[in-house]
Amino acid sequence: MDNEIQKVLIIGGGPTEIGHETELDAACVQVIQAFKKQGIRSLLIDNNPFSVALEDVQPTNIFIQAVTANNVQRIIEREQPDAILASVGGVTAISVVQELQENGVLADNDVKTLGIPADALMDINNPDRLNDVMRHVGVPVIASETVGTLDEAINVATKIGYPVIVKPIAPRIDTNRMLCENEQDMISAISRGFSWSRFKQCVIEQSIVGYKEIELVSMRDAMGTQVLIAGLENIDPIGIHSGDSMVVTPTLTLSNEEYETLRDTAFAINNQFQFTGVVHTHFALGSSENSYYVTKVTPYNDRGTSLVACATGYPIAYVAANLYLNQKLTDVHLPEIYHFKQTALLEPSLDHVVVRIPLWPFEDVKNADQHLSTVMKSVGSTIGVGRSTEEAILKALRSSQFSPQDELPSMNDLTDSQLISQLIHPLSSRILVLIEALRRGYQIDELTELTKIDPFYFVKLRHILEIEDHIKAHPMGVDALHEGRYYGFGDGMIARIWHTDIDTVRKLGQDNHISPTYKGIEPSAGELLNSPTAYYSTFELENESQQISAKTVLVLGRGGNQLGPNASADYFTTEMLKQLRKSGYQTVIMNTNPNAGSLTATLSDKQIIDPVQLGDIMNVIAIEHPVKIFVPGNRHYLTRELRHRNYVISILPPDQEKRSELLNDHANIGLDLFVTEGHIVPILASDLRSDRGIATTLDQITLMRTPATLTDQQLTAIIAHAKDYLGAHKRTGMVQMLYTTNGQQAPQFAGVRPTRLTTIAYLNKVTGINWVRMLVRQALGEIDEDLIAKLAVDIRSDRRSQVRGTFPFKQLQLPDQLGLTTQEVGARISFETL
Amino acid sequence: MAQRFLILEDGSIYPGHSFGAGATTTGEIVFNTSMLGYQEIVTNQIYHNQIIVFSQPIIGSIGIAHDSYESILPTAKGMVVRDITDISKNRQRSLSLDQFLKQHNIPGISGIDTRHLIRQIKQTGTIKGSIVDVADDHAFDQLHATVLTNQQVAQVATPRPYPNPNQGYNVVVIDFGLKHGILRQLSKRDCNVTVLPWDASAQDIINLDPDGVLLSTGPGSPLDLPESVLDMIRTIEERIPLFAIGLGHELFALANGSEITKLKLSHHGANHPIRKIITNEIIYAMESEEYVVDPDSVDRDRLITTYLDLIDGSIQGLRHRDYPAFSVQFFPDGAPGPDDSVDLFDEFVEIMGTRE
Amino acid sequence: MAKVVVDAMAMQRALTRITYEIIEHNKGIDGLVILGIKTRGVYLAQRIASRLKQLENATVPVGELDVTQYRDDIEHDAQDVDPTVTVSKIDFPVTDKKVILVDDVLYTGRTIRAAMSAIMDLGRPKQINLAVLVDRGHRELPIRADFVGKNIPSSQQERIKVSVSEIDGQDSVEIIER
Repeated sequence: MDNEIQKVLIIGGGPTEIGHETELDAACVQVIQAFKKQGIRSLLIDNNPFSVALEDVQPTNIFIQAVTANNVQRIIEREQPDAILASVGGVTAISVVQELQENGVLADNDVKTLGIPADALMDINNPDRLNDVMRHVGVPVIASETVGTLDEAINVATKIGYPVIVKPIAPRIDTNRMLCENEQDMISAISRGFSWSRFKQCVIEQSIVGYKEIELVSMRDAMGTQVLIAGLENIDPIGIHSGDSMVVTPTLTLSNEEYETLRDTAFAINNQFQFTGVVHTHFALGSSENSYYVTKVTPYNDRGTSLVACATGYPIAYVAANLYLNQKLTDVHLPEIYHFKQTALLEPSLDHVVVRIPLWPFEDVKNADQHLSTVMKSVGSTIGVGRSTEEAILKALRSSQFSPQDELPSMNDLTDSQLISQLIHPLSSRILVLIEALRRGYQIDELTELTKIDPFYFVKLRHILEIEDHIKAHPMGVDALHEGRYYGFGDGMIARIWHTDIDTVRKLGQDNHISPTYKGIEPSAGELLNSPTAYYSTFELENESQQISAKTVLVLGRGGNQLGPNASADYFTTEMLKQLRKSGYQTVIMNTNPNAGSLTATLSDKQIIDPVQLGDIMNVIAIEHPVKIFVPGNRHYLTRELRHRNYVISILPPDQEKRSELLNDHANIGLDLFVTEGHIVPILASDLRSDRGIATTLDQITLMRTPATLTDQQLTAIIAHAKDYLGAHKRTGMVQMLYTTNGQQAPQFAGVRPTRLTTIAYLNKVTGINWVRMLVRQALGEIDEDLIAKLAVDIRSDRRSQVRGTFPFKQLQLPDQLGLTTQEVGARISFETL
Repeated sequence: MAQRFLILEDGSIYPGHSFGAGATTTGEIVFNTSMLGYQEIVTNQIYHNQIIVFSQPIIGSIGIAHDSYESILPTAKGMVVRDITDISKNRQRSLSLDQFLKQHNIPGISGIDTRHLIRQIKQTGTIKGSIVDVADDHAFDQLHATVLTNQQVAQVATPRPYPNPNQGYNVVVIDFGLKHGILRQLSKRDCNVTVLPWDASAQDIINLDPDGVLLSTGPGSPLDLPESVLDMIRTIEERIPLFAIGLGHELFALANGSEITKLKLSHHGANHPIRKIITNEIIYAMESEEYVVDPDSVDRDRLITTYLDLIDGSIQGLRHRDYPAFSVQFFPDGAPGPDDSVDLFDEFVEIMGTRE
Repeated sequence: MAKVVVDAMAMQRALTRITYEIIEHNKGIDGLVILGIKTRGVYLAQRIASRLKQLENATVPVGELDVTQYRDDIEHDAQDVDPTVTVSKIDFPVTDKKVILVDDVLYTGRTIRAAMSAIMDLGRPKQINLAVLVDRGHRELPIRADFVGKNIPSSQQERIKVSVSEIDGQDSVEIIER
């Protein structure tokens, strides 16, 4: 242990955006836990209102500010931390620390970097320096050369061999890499490239498009001890960003030799850079022997490390936190909850398969180019866990659909030429198109040629179609039901194939003892017998998941991240779990988002990673017999169906009987209130604005600002109106009253709606009262009316604050446009400085 | 795929689907938690007389590769898997696992709850089982009546010497059921190898004037081999640098006064951290052991413990105090598994270099 | 032109092997003391001692000898020069001990002879053995190493450069042509 480190400044990830969602905050929470255990004081800078980590740090150690080098520098100068940690703040944090390293702020204030040595910080994002390191450790480097004339370019390209990539050096415009299949392509690309380059120079690089993309996640301590946590295999080849690629773990189509070569390489690089903590290494793997390249080294938490943590049950961020403090891997003890005491050194061995399918925002941002390419466009992902590839693919696919009814959309209206075009230039419907092609009789060799996807996956997809045919051919067949469920078909899917309802399907299963068997997600593949806390279902012999208590609450997670209120749903779910536990309930969470902080093992008593679909939920209910089911945010179909079956559902924030009562589609003042049986508590009045100023419709309101521009008189008037109105209309929970004002005139009532999840997170930060927990206690019937009467909410506070939605337009390469609530990818919060 | 059954001595029946050969076989049930290298595993002769359960559920996904055999004529008694992919065309590979097993008359059974099976045998300990067409009384009678041979080494090792010529040091490999990884590693280091049968005498070896002797891996119990093997080791270790692996390691320990105990359940996997004591480094390697050296029995005046498994505490390596003779329980050649310890072969070569 | 002839892994192995050979040769570590010749010999001596400690769970004393006169900082054991070796840090008796003298490169043998004189001035060891990482030949005295990491036949025009991670940032042996 490094005793010189007492105080660490942690750089948060900032607002959610394309590239990172809740995984950074989830990792941050684990780091803070581990630091606390080691007696380290954590300071945290972040301006993400949906950060759970911000709830876990003492208020005096929180800096709600944008993650910029200037802000971080000011904190360093004032607080004089011993060290700075960029490993849970993604690319933003890394570049901030790079900047502070370059301008000498870290050295001047004697601040160490944790995890990534200062020198390495400078190298990891610099292709030239990275290549030097690769050569030093004996790793093949992608052939590339800088050229300044057409003749040079032709010579170099011929030497390297087509296809090649042309990249202008120091381009004046934001350009993509240009892929050239032949000399003719190259000649035209190079002339464009020269004209874009400030130096009239281009780099010509060997193309690795079509290579397999493999990722390894490893841990290293300061002694140089390393452990490989897992490998990830991108089903889609290089050419599609790994964040937009279907990913499977463990790797399924690598030989032992290939895998060990990559392992040795990753370890050698980690040693060379002297990383500590977690490292995510990306590789491109060619089809001939020894043709592999390192494409990226990310020595920090990201979506890859969170996927691996979720798939293996190995608490990566927690262990890494200990390693940042120079603890040895041999000495790191995992939290009790993980049930295996064999140190952090057991290399996870999996007996299940996990498939991740990305979620794209194209439903909400219709004018975006939907082609998948080297630029990431997805905003979230869902995973499926199974004992077969088919099962994992189907579960992930079922969870990735926007329809709540557990059905897959049909692709049969594509014309053949559309189909071919989409095979070559994939869209977000990628996997459905692959299945459709197989359905139409495309041969595996052909498809492999067109898509560069390993034939193994086509064999599996074709098998899924065979099972589907089998189910079709045997309506209400017991064998067909068993086979379908065994390979991951949902009850809803089977019901639809048989043109019946889900209850009929479930009854057939019950009568024939086709019951789900839950299997533990743990890193020893059954070798160590202790039971873990995370499970997934399959249909085999042994069920390992038993009812945990007679006082269990089942919480239905939101699944994969999407635009809109989802950005804050995981924060909401996490706070919900904390309160339920505090109120004395055992908690079971179902979720499929590998980045979700709410799936952290220490937050709930059991985690079920299965589609949050009706059949799967009822399977969990049949084992756990929860006293209540909590649903963060409403999901009408599911809650209706569950209520219909007499389950006790609490939707939070409460779904008002009449959800919204809107007199018009415009408002500029909002008044949020907490309403109990006996009291109406005004919380905050705020200005409601669009991203550009005045919001002409409600769905343009993506910015809230306090104090509201109201006179004292106006404020008194709307509070009185709200109390009258809510007293007369029976509503409980949290509501937002909407008003329009115009100068000094009396505000006009515009309507009432349930407080948005996003808003609740803001209210928590502004008032210092955790309203999520209040809502949970209300739903549990634990609200003490006397206490509510005494609740001091300073609605007349003149502390200035603002929350503002952020949008994915830039990453989607769209011109800036007016963002709608349904298009929010995240939000940023600020105090005082507006 | 036809339905078949895996039946165990304790009366359990696991229904599944047939792949590979349709033969009815009986063997000890062992499980392997390695995530890669099913081909290397099933062709390893240490699995003679054994039915291998794979914890990795997806098996067969890359077919069979010409350069991944650990023996030419595999003698495992069966493969038990959750999911088999009959794929024969991944890159240059042309043979599927199913076809390969058929060629070698090895049955496979898929669709098994392997996680349950592993958790079960973790509790019962080593158990016999059969892969059969019908799980009736007759099948169980046959299973109970089958006595597995303890002459595995004699059955799998080469009956006659053969050379693997090269330009470097002269190495004699004693074949107890050799895995090819060992020969590959020696070849890479230019060793001029002569493979001798397991019952070669010290004189047979000395006659070849080797620079070093390697005792190979192999199946079964070291206690089932005759005392003459131990005599050979005692004579050789005094004169010629000696490297012993797997079964060879167990024999080396026995020859130097240690005792061997049979594990309640054999351990096969590549994910346990192993401490290399001399430098305190942590390495990973494929461990595959049914028998281990009893730590209390190690004569510290003769042997130094060099490697320890941090999960189960088992001794993974020994070295003689007085002679350049050393051994490891794990497989330093990988195939499959990490090659963190592959430089033990370099160490062997360097020792031969200094003793010239 | 520098050519790496021993990389980090090979150096680790060489020290490991030397350690085992010391145990083999001395039938254990009773009465053993290790003396490293400055600068790099000291680090090598410490590494050998730490390995012995790992294996035998007992501490072997390590002392330091200083070469005060040398022609350049890479090869103190150079031709035609008789270096003076002084005892810089040996806080234990050597009389009746088995001394392992450790140096990085064995060349003419003159440093070793001087080192042995220095040791003899301190007391009367039971025996002195010599361990070197590299033996490059060209001896001018009848001196032979008992434990050799690697024999590197070299010409006198070449220089042998030993780097140790403690002070050089890496472990390696390189041949440098003059």
